[in-house]
Amino acid sequence: MKLLTATTRYYLLLAAGLFALASGLLYGGVNWALRSEVEEELLDRRLYVTQLVARGQPLPDTLFAYQFDLSRRRRPVGFADTLLPDPLEREMVPYRELTFWLPAGPAGAPQQVTLRKSLVETEELLGVVLAVMLGVLLLLLAGVVGLNRWLAGRIWGPFQSTLAALRTYDLLRHRPLALPTPDIAEFAELNQALNHLSERLVADYENLRQFTENAAHETQTPLAIMQAQLEQLLQAPALLEDEATARLVGDLLTATQRLSRLHQALTLLNRLENHQFAPAQAVPVHLDQVVRDRVALVEPLLQARQLRLRVHIAGAVPARIMHPGLADSLIQNLLQNALKHNRPGGSIDIVLNSDSLEICNTGPAVTGDPARFFERFRKHQAGSDSPGLGLSIVQHICAYYGFSVRYTFAAEASRHTLSVRFE
Amino acid sequence: MKLLLVEDEATLRRTLVDTLRQGGYVVEVAPNFAQAYEKIKLYQYDCVLVDLTLPDGDGLDLVRALKSDGSQAGVLVITARDGLDDRVRGLDLGADDYLPKPFHLSELNARLRAILRRRQFQGQHQIVFRDLLVWPDQAEVLVHGEPLALTRKEYDMLLYFLANPGRVLTKEAIAEHLWGDHVDAADSFDFIYTHLKNLRRKLQEKGGTNYIRTLYGVGYKLSTE
Repeated sequence: MKLLTATTRYYLLLAAGLFALASGLLYGGVNWALRSEVEEELLDRRLYVTQLVARGQPLPDTLFAYQFDLSRRRRPVGFADTLLPDPLEREMVPYRELTFWLPAGPAGAPQQVTLRKSLVETEELLGVVLAVMLGVLLLLLAGVVGLNRWLAGRIWGPFQSTLAALRTYDLLRHRPLALPTPDIAEFAELNQALNHLSERLVADYENLRQFTENAAHETQTPLAIMQAQLEQLLQAPALLEDEATARLVGDLLTATQRLSRLHQALTLLNRLENHQFAPAQAVPVHLDQVVRDRVALVEPLLQARQLRLRVHIAGAVPARIMHPGLADSLIQNLLQNALKHNRPGGSIDIVLNSDSLEICNTGPAVTGDPARFFERFRKHQAGSDSPGLGLSIVQHICAYYGFSVRYTFAAEASRHTLSVRFE
Repeated sequence: MKLLLVEDEATLRRTLVDTLRQGGYVVEVAPNFAQAYEKIKLYQYDCVLVDLTLPDGDGLDLVRALKSDGSQAGVLVITARDGLDDRVRGLDLGADDYLPKPFHLSELNARLRAILRRRQFQGQHQIVFRDLLVWPDQAEVLVHGEPLALTRKEYDMLLYFLANPGRVLTKEAIAEHLWGDHVDAADSFDFIYTHLKNLRRKLQEKGGTNYIRTLYGVGYKLSTE
C-alpha cells in the first residue's frame, strides 16, 4: 500500500466518524432547540389567553394579536430590533419586527402595521449549532493530533526501525543490512534499495579486503624469495674473496629489506584506514608495560648516542582495550621518532598518565607546517633511509582509537613534543 | 634434528631447505596442506615450520592438528600475511614462535635454535663452539673454562652468531635481532660495531680466538675454520 493511500485512509476514517457524530449531534441539538422553543411559545400563548380571560376580555380573533400591533402613530418603516417582556420568563426578550403601511381599505384611513417575531428561538438554535461545530472542531483537532501520533508509531514504525538499523550498521561485521519488507510500498522500496546498497558495500569491502590481503601476500612472497636468495648468495665462498661483489649483494639485500618494510608500513596504514582490525582481538593493554618493553629494547642505542631518557609513569595507568600489535606499533613509532630527530647528548622524556602520553625530545628545529608532519612520506632529510611513515602510522592508530595527537615545538629549549590524549 | 617444512612457494622452499640442511638438520618438505597433514599424522618431528597460506588449506589448522594430537614438536609459524592478527592467533593456538615474511635466514636459524632448546628437556643444554662453552639457561659463557662477563646485548649477539656458525650475517639482520623489527637499521650500525669490538676484545682477553670475521660493508661471520 502506498504511504499516501494508507495515511489518507486513516484521515478519511477519522473525518467520516467525526462528521457522522457531528451530524447526529447537530440533528439532535437543533431538534431539541426547536421543540423546546415551540413548547415555550405554546406556554406563552396559554398564559396570554388565560390572562385575557381573567381580565374579562373576549378571546381574540387571532392568537397573533400580541405579535401584531396596529398603530396610527408614525413609525419607521422596515425591519428593526426590539425588546419586549416575556410574560412567562419575566425577562426582556429580543424580537425582530417589520413595520409597514397598510393602504386604506373600505374601513377608513390607512394604518401602520408592525409584525413581531421572537428571536429567542433562533438564538438558542445558533447556540446549539455553534456548540456542536466548536465541539466537532475540537474533536477533529484532537483526533488529528492523536491520529498522527498513532500513525507515527504504526505506519512510520518500519521507517524508524530502518533508521535505527542504519545508525547501528557496521560494515566491519561483513553482513548486509537484511531489512524486512514492510506493507507500505515506499518503505518496502527504501529497505530494498538499502539492502541492495549494503550488499554491494559488503561485496566491495570484501573485494578491497581481499585485494589488500592478496597484494600483501603476493608481494611479500617474491620479496621473501629475493631476500632469502640474496642472503644465500652472500654465503657463497667466492664472495668472501670478492669484496666489491659482496658489497653489491649487500646493497641489494638492504634495498629489498627497505622495500619490504615500506610495504609492511603501507599495508598497516591501509588496514587501519579500512578498519580491518577485528574488535575481538582487542585486549586490555598496559601501555606502561609496552613503554617499558620498548625502552628496554632501545636502551643500548640510547647509550651509544648519549641520550638521556626519563620515563615518568604517573601511578597506576589503567589498561586500555586495544589491539596489542597496534599499541606496540604506536609506542615504537613515537619512540623511534624521538630517537631519530634527536641530537647527540640530548634527552627524551616520556610522560604517561591515565589520560595522556607525551613524548618530548630535544632536537634541531624543523621547518614547515607541523600539521604536515603527519603526512605520508614526510622526511626531514631527503637522504634518510626511513620511508617517513612513522608519524602517519601514529596518527592513524590514534584516529582508529579516537585519540587525539598533537605536535608542539618549544623554540627556546628546542624541544619537540608529541602528545597523545586518550579520550 | 628432524624438521618438517611446510611451504608452497617452490623457490623459497628450496632456499630454506638448503639453509636448514647446511645448519645440520634433517629436513622433510610438504608443498601443500594435504601432504603436510599426512606427514604430521605419520611421523614425529622435532619442529614443524608452517607457512599459513597454503593453496589447499590454512596452516593454522595444521597447528591445531599438532596440538590436538599432543605432539611434542615445536611449531614455528611463517607467513606473508600481515603479521599483527595472525601472530596473536598463531601463538594462541600454541605455536612457539612467529616469523613474518620476509625474514632473515639467520633469524630463522636463531628462532629455530631457541625453540629446539626450549623443547629439549632431557637433551644437552650447553652450546659448544671451539673453545667456547655457553649455558643458555643460565646465560653463562665460558672461554677455556673461565667465565666471561658480557652485557645483555653482547650475549644476545654472541648467541645469534652461535646459531649461525659459518654464515654471513648482515648488519640489518643483527640489528633486527637485537632491537626488534622496524628499528631504523642505519642508526644502529655504529652501535653494532661498538658492541662487536667489545665482544671481540673480551673474548681475546680470555685467550679466545677471534672467530668473528668482518665483511666490509656487508656484515659479519662466525668463522668455523
